[in-house]
Amino acid sequence: MRRSNSIGHLSVIIVFMSIMMLPLLGTLLYSISTSWSSGMLPDGVTFKWYKILFVEHRFLQAMMNSIMVCLGALILTLILVVPTAFIVFYYFPFLKPFMNFIILLPFAVPPVVSSVGLLQIFSNDVITLTGTPWILLGAYFTVALPFSYRAIANNMANLNLQDMLDAAHLLGASTFRAFFTIVLPNLKTGLMISLFLSFSLLIGEFVFANILVGTRFETVQVYLFNMKARSGHFSSAVVVSYFLVIMLMTILAGQWGKKQ
Amino acid sequence: MSFLRAQGLEKKYDDSLVFTHIDFALEKGEFVTLLGPSGCGKSTLLRCVAGLTQLDEGQLFIDSANVTDLPARERGIAMVFQSYALFPNMTVRENIAFGLKMQKVPLSERSRRVIEAIELVELGGKEQRYPSELSGGQCQRVALARSLIVRPRILLLDEPLSALDARIRKNLREQLRSIQKELGLTTLFVTHDQEEALTLSDRILLMNHGKIIQNGTAEAIYTEPANAFVVRFIGNYNLLSSTQAYQALGIKSEKQIAIRPESIYVREEGRQYADHVRHPVRGQVVDYLLLGNVIRYRVNVSGVELLVDLLNRSSERIFPAGAPLELLFNTREIREVDEDTQEAV
Amino acid sequence: MAFYKAKRAALLLLAPFILTFFLFQVLPLLWVLVNSFKSNMGEEWGVDNYQFILESRYFRQAIYNSLKISIYSSIAGMLLALPCAWSLHRLSGRLKEATLTISNMIANFSGVPLAFAFVILLGANGCLIALLDQLNIGHGFNLYSAFGLILIYSYFQIPLAILLMLPAMEGLRDEWQEAACLLGAGKFRYWLNIGLPVLMPGILGTFIILFANAMGTMATAFALTGGNYNLLTIRISNLISGDIFLDPWLASALSMILVFILMLVTLANEWLIKPGRLRAKVK
Repeated sequence: MRRSNSIGHLSVIIVFMSIMMLPLLGTLLYSISTSWSSGMLPDGVTFKWYKILFVEHRFLQAMMNSIMVCLGALILTLILVVPTAFIVFYYFPFLKPFMNFIILLPFAVPPVVSSVGLLQIFSNDVITLTGTPWILLGAYFTVALPFSYRAIANNMANLNLQDMLDAAHLLGASTFRAFFTIVLPNLKTGLMISLFLSFSLLIGEFVFANILVGTRFETVQVYLFNMKARSGHFSSAVVVSYFLVIMLMTILAGQWGKKQ
Repeated sequence: MSFLRAQGLEKKYDDSLVFTHIDFALEKGEFVTLLGPSGCGKSTLLRCVAGLTQLDEGQLFIDSANVTDLPARERGIAMVFQSYALFPNMTVRENIAFGLKMQKVPLSERSRRVIEAIELVELGGKEQRYPSELSGGQCQRVALARSLIVRPRILLLDEPLSALDARIRKNLREQLRSIQKELGLTTLFVTHDQEEALTLSDRILLMNHGKIIQNGTAEAIYTEPANAFVVRFIGNYNLLSSTQAYQALGIKSEKQIAIRPESIYVREEGRQYADHVRHPVRGQVVDYLLLGNVIRYRVNVSGVELLVDLLNRSSERIFPAGAPLELLFNTREIREVDEDTQEAV
Repeated sequence: MAFYKAKRAALLLLAPFILTFFLFQVLPLLWVLVNSFKSNMGEEWGVDNYQFILESRYFRQAIYNSLKISIYSSIAGMLLALPCAWSLHRLSGRLKEATLTISNMIANFSGVPLAFAFVILLGANGCLIALLDQLNIGHGFNLYSAFGLILIYSYFQIPLAILLMLPAMEGLRDEWQEAACLLGAGKFRYWLNIGLPVLMPGILGTFIILFANAMGTMATAFALTGGNYNLLTIRISNLISGDIFLDPWLASALSMILVFILMLVTLANEWLIKPGRLRAKVK
């Protein structure tokens, strides 16, 4: 059977896409309208909300905070997960099922539950991480872990690590060197894709950020939440700007995927 | 009247022709192979016979009835796929019984026929296994049993052996042929493997570029190739251009010359040769290859390399590289062949 | 042997990962587990917290609401995603790629921004509501009700379900339908006997993930109703960071109930998929 872009399937997708795009398009339209009291279309078009937004210090700071904390968490995740995946796959393959099990934990323990414990554990006299961005690095590591480990593990499973390392050893490379010169470059594509996707995931995180840190280090999600009393047009502009970041990340991930 | 008859079949995808002017017929109980290189249109042709792909032109008759517009499930045709296409959610038994279930055959008869079919393909004891627990060869036997159990009028086989390893392939191929003979099944078999085709078939339809180039028995295809494409595709031949033929053998011909390696002899002192064994030429052994009962020499004759097959008899010595030889040719076996002038469709 | 020496060193290199994972994932859960048995402001040991929750109509309602919204939105998401995923599977080329990219983005477009977008569209003064009012339909629609929450949850469940179902659908091979067809099965019999059974593990697994996703999420409902809608996650959050009354021990007990439900469905999923019958291995 040849696949044809038949009318039926095409219309299903078009109807689906239109409905799914509706909230986004509505928000976009709202963010560029002077006011929208009633009717199909807004009363007038303006960019003033964006002009206000892009000079607001608190918004820019929140964006910056979000990007910093997401990048930090991703770097931490990579530093912890890549060597771990390699060691598990190369030295202790019998641990693979165990790893597959523990990366399920973040799914069974939602952020709000982890927050209950984290809030108590990290706010005592010895270590006080709550209220600082540092606790988010650890919390976000658990959020990004399942996705990045899956991506890296799938990649490694396709590499035939054992033969590759044997060949490298016979050619005189140490395991350490082989890891950096052979394994890592081969993982690059998978890593980049998982990085971009995890970034969109983390920048959309609200619960940890709100409960553990709150207004003391405002991320863009918390900022948006705290702006709910302001004009809807203004918050629409925040939503659209935020969505553009997600879009950029998803498209970048797609581009890396195609390169392969 | 032939059991299956195809007249003027044609198929195209977006203006590019897959095959055209296809005419052939199958007698009842005949095993016919569609042989050709990949991309020649043979698989699509098979799917059109099955009714899985729509024909653009031409007529198909089964048992004198026109089935051209009949949907696949009403044609009484069974097909075995290269990828087995076993249903992964069903056991061996459920897979085999599926066709009978669809025909609403009563349960008692159904289980009797399933047992028969399982015996026929020698899969006793594996009834409760799932396809993912079987080897490739076993999967293909299940697929075969699943197709045979509905007692199809025609069995179509789409490269059923090409996903298997060499040893299993050979085994299953013999089994397939013996089952086919036993049941008297009219069979159309698709393959790109010329050896498979030559050993299995009553008749071969050799296809290239969407056309049937030669239609004949295995022997006819092997000894009387229709053109240079057939020569090259069947392999094992010395194919000389007209300049090479003149240079090496002194044969003047407008066309290319095809000579089978086993029709070339090494002249032995004091031996008498028949009249048609002529054209003595001198050459030098380049190297040789032991192929079991045959030794294949590469011989340089005035700058042209010829393959010469000699029987590997222990009483005779092997000619080492560089040894001078005098060759004789069986002139009855020297063929002039045309280039395949068919344009790519 | 050098390899064994290297192996021991490698074990050491696992330490940072294990430590971080323990500190931020295991320890909080352990803390929650242990402290859920401390009641009376952490003074007494016992199951009082659990007893209190199960006897309280308010908390029972929170559990019920969470289950209701999760189940309905997962079913709705699944039912809408299946035909979309099938159509997407049948399409190819740029349109498929574009749809996948957009699904990916929308799957990440949840929480606070999504709540805002829905308020703008469907809130009390939403532009779509104004339009519907003019057309005289959809009266009495309330985004801040259970129905509104199910709607908004379904919105982020659909793209997720599509992304999860697509690989399962790609596993359905054309030859199965062809083989079934040659053996006399029509489209209906094919779907009944082969298509659906093969897809079933994927459908179940996806449903479980959707359900768990909806049970554990909080941001969307929190942003939409400002913590007023009675959901399990919102109750937990209010007990640890609310303004009025903090009780991390009670929050722990509520958390354990949530974790218990989530583990139960995860295990149920494992158990349902385990028997070879449903395991569709595609060679």
